Amino acid sequence: MSWQTFILHIFTYGILLYSILLTSCYILIGAFSISETRTYLNKNSFTDYRVLASSTEAPSMSILAPAYNEAATIIENVRSLLSLHYNNLEVIIINDGSKDDSLERLIDAYDLYKVDYFVNQQVETKLVKGVYKSHNQVYRKLIVVDKENGGKADALNVGVNIAQNNYFVCVDVDCVLEQDAILKLAKPFLENSTHRVIAAGGVVRIANSCEIEGGRLVKVNLPKQFLPRIQTLEYIRAFLLSRMAWTRLNGLLLISGAFGAFDREIVIKCGGYNHKTVGEDMELVVRMRRYMEELGQPYRVSFIPDPLCWTEAPSTFKILGRQRNRWARGTIETLRFHKKMFFNPRYGLLGMLSYPYWLFFEFLAPIIEFFGTIGLIIYCIVAEINYSALLITAGVVSIGILYSIFAILMEVLTYNQYKQRKDILRLVIVAVLEPVIFHPFVVWSSIRGNFDLLRKRNSWGEMTRQGFAAEKKIL
Amino acid sequence: MGVRLFLTTKISTINRILPFTYILKVEYLVIVIFSVVCLIGGLLVYMLFYIYIKSRREKKYDKWRLISDLLIRKAVFYDDDQVQAETNIPVTDRAKKLMNKRHFRKLLTEEIVSAKKNITGISAYNLKNLYQQLLLPNYALKNLKSRYWHIKAKAIQELTVMEMDEYVTELISFTNNQNELVRMEAQTAIVQFNGFEGLSFLDAITYPISDWQQIKLLQQLAHARPVDMGIDGWLKSANNSVVVFALKLARNYQLFELHDDILQCLDHTNPHVRLEAINFFCEIYTEDTSDALISRYLKEDLKHQLAMIKAIQNIGSEKDVPFLVSLLDKDDHEIKISAARALTKIGKNGIALLKRHADDKGYPLDQIAMHVKGGLPA
Repeated sequence: MSWQTFILHIFTYGILLYSILLTSCYILIGAFSISETRTYLNKNSFTDYRVLASSTEAPSMSILAPAYNEAATIIENVRSLLSLHYNNLEVIIINDGSKDDSLERLIDAYDLYKVDYFVNQQVETKLVKGVYKSHNQVYRKLIVVDKENGGKADALNVGVNIAQNNYFVCVDVDCVLEQDAILKLAKPFLENSTHRVIAAGGVVRIANSCEIEGGRLVKVNLPKQFLPRIQTLEYIRAFLLSRMAWTRLNGLLLISGAFGAFDREIVIKCGGYNHKTVGEDMELVVRMRRYMEELGQPYRVSFIPDPLCWTEAPSTFKILGRQRNRWARGTIETLRFHKKMFFNPRYGLLGMLSYPYWLFFEFLAPIIEFFGTIGLIIYCIVAEINYSALLITAGVVSIGILYSIFAILMEVLTYNQYKQRKDILRLVIVAVLEPVIFHPFVVWSSIRGNFDLLRKRNSWGEMTRQGFAAEKKIL
Repeated sequence: MGVRLFLTTKISTINRILPFTYILKVEYLVIVIFSVVCLIGGLLVYMLFYIYIKSRREKKYDKWRLISDLLIRKAVFYDDDQVQAETNIPVTDRAKKLMNKRHFRKLLTEEIVSAKKNITGISAYNLKNLYQQLLLPNYALKNLKSRYWHIKAKAIQELTVMEMDEYVTELISFTNNQNELVRMEAQTAIVQFNGFEGLSFLDAITYPISDWQQIKLLQQLAHARPVDMGIDGWLKSANNSVVVFALKLARNYQLFELHDDILQCLDHTNPHVRLEAINFFCEIYTEDTSDALISRYLKEDLKHQLAMIKAIQNIGSEKDVPFLVSLLDKDDHEIKISAARALTKIGKNGIALLKRHADDKGYPLDQIAMHVKGGLPA
């Protein structure tokens, strides 16, 4: 056997082995997701959240919403947060050194005044320039913090320092939350008597083309534009399948930065959000888990499948590329910070399963795909057509489509947000087109993220959003 | 035949150039892809079929819902005199016939239960009568024997909402059920039916009671008349969650007579129990309570220490001022803020003392003093 043939064999069988492992993961994720979702839905079918809404024993929650140059939409977004159904709640808006007039607008709209406030720097942050409260009792839950610009992680850390409650919920200020979102997110912290629930995540859905009135979602529509629509499918797959499955195993590593609740005490003990990474949401969860593992205390990271948070997805390739580039860098940075856990039995399931999964199937997948495809193309051009590799690729693509169709089925069987039959058919079409149109772009953005990290480019990447500002608007 | 021959020739050619052809044959790969495509097709067909059946079912359910709503409206507005005469609520023949259908019964039961949750008084009584008249409790009792926990738990909840207290003996056995949801619903039911006396399940329960369940039980008890519950026994329970719940009961119902028993809980091995005991002393105390807290202060972690300072803020007196002043020199800012706030609430000279101390020490006490004087939470 020549060395060229040997390399070809290694290449082909490497791809085959990787594909088999990936497919096995899909199957297991599907199975665990069915089990966890069914348990949750059965449990939820007779849960009365009003119990929590009216109880003085309900856990106190603080909403942390960092804002940077959000002047166009901030008044409406804050109003939406203040109208959430929860008694024991404070809403903390952190103005992260906005260059626009966000703060002035807030001061005018909510009748704010600067208060003497000693900020206990339990987590180190940039300078807090002022803390504002409202003269108007109607807005007594509202605290606005003005600080020097330091990025999202730094702004959240200021929120952690200012928050007075046992739990905090971090939200992107431009997200639209369901009215009962906090009630539902608070419940996991009360349910477990044997394990301490350190964090709870909720499903984030795509709000593009949905009808928003007065900061509230009034009608769910499937996005009209292609990119947001394809991301709708992507989010369904990620939230309904992957995160539910990992919750079943108690191995969830990521709670979306757009909507998640955390045990404040543990967050402070862990040192708060890490501002040295652009993936601060994932990094925090991993660090909290690592902390609990090292402490040897039983814990859980919970996740609930109800669609509670609606966000605007990027609708251009340019912005989408920046987002995926950032996600890739965030993943690599997190994995690098916690490389000690890799196949380390001391960290149990976290070290032996969750971390390796993220390394092999989240971080390495785009790299393997990218270089595999390039290698295959070159081989086919300069040597001969490698049918086996082509067929394996076709197999992997078809399994990917199957996985997407399964996710759509799960959506139909559970929350069924897109009620029209034609919407489901559109999602199916998207599932077929995704591997050809969308996925290569995501892989390419991820590769660029890897290169940017190597070149030490660590910018957040501006996210331009259309916003839900208008009184009644269809995005 | 020609096509088959062509395929066979083609596949064997491809197989020759494949690496390790003895393991990886192109036929296998084609079979895999074909199977996946078939699976995709199968899932799509199933999904479309499900959507079709669901939409048909929804149309039928909409009609049934109208019948159910009519029946419920009739019951809700049923005349008082007729109720006293114990006449039956008139049920249409259509509804009677539909009662033989399992899905209609399920829908009607859900509608009645949902309406009952939001209605009180004579209308609620009428709904209960309708529920019994339609023999729906029999189906709930049947569901109690289901092997599925969620059906069992839902049946218990149904009987609870519909106030079927005659079945309380059937439900008691579920209060220590191995399934958490079944157990929780049964405990809620017993407390709804028997009030404080229903809490007797706490004597025997071996599973922990979650915070969620404790909130539910406390809410159920909010409408019940307090009686002697035997809380002192639960304070000594081996089940820590029972002790925590007993402490919450003692605090909510201001059971001063348990003061000394609860003092002992300050030395409990479980931190949740100790924290709840400290919270109890935020409201119920004697003149020695703050001394008891202070004597244990150094043994506790930060969370418990802060709770103790908060308790002293509520119940402390002049004699506790030196202790609080000493805390102003601690390294932890949270302790300083809590102590400063407590000082401003205790005694006549608290604010002056804080100000003097802040002037002497400067940062951060000067800012903490301003913060506390501003009356903001910290």
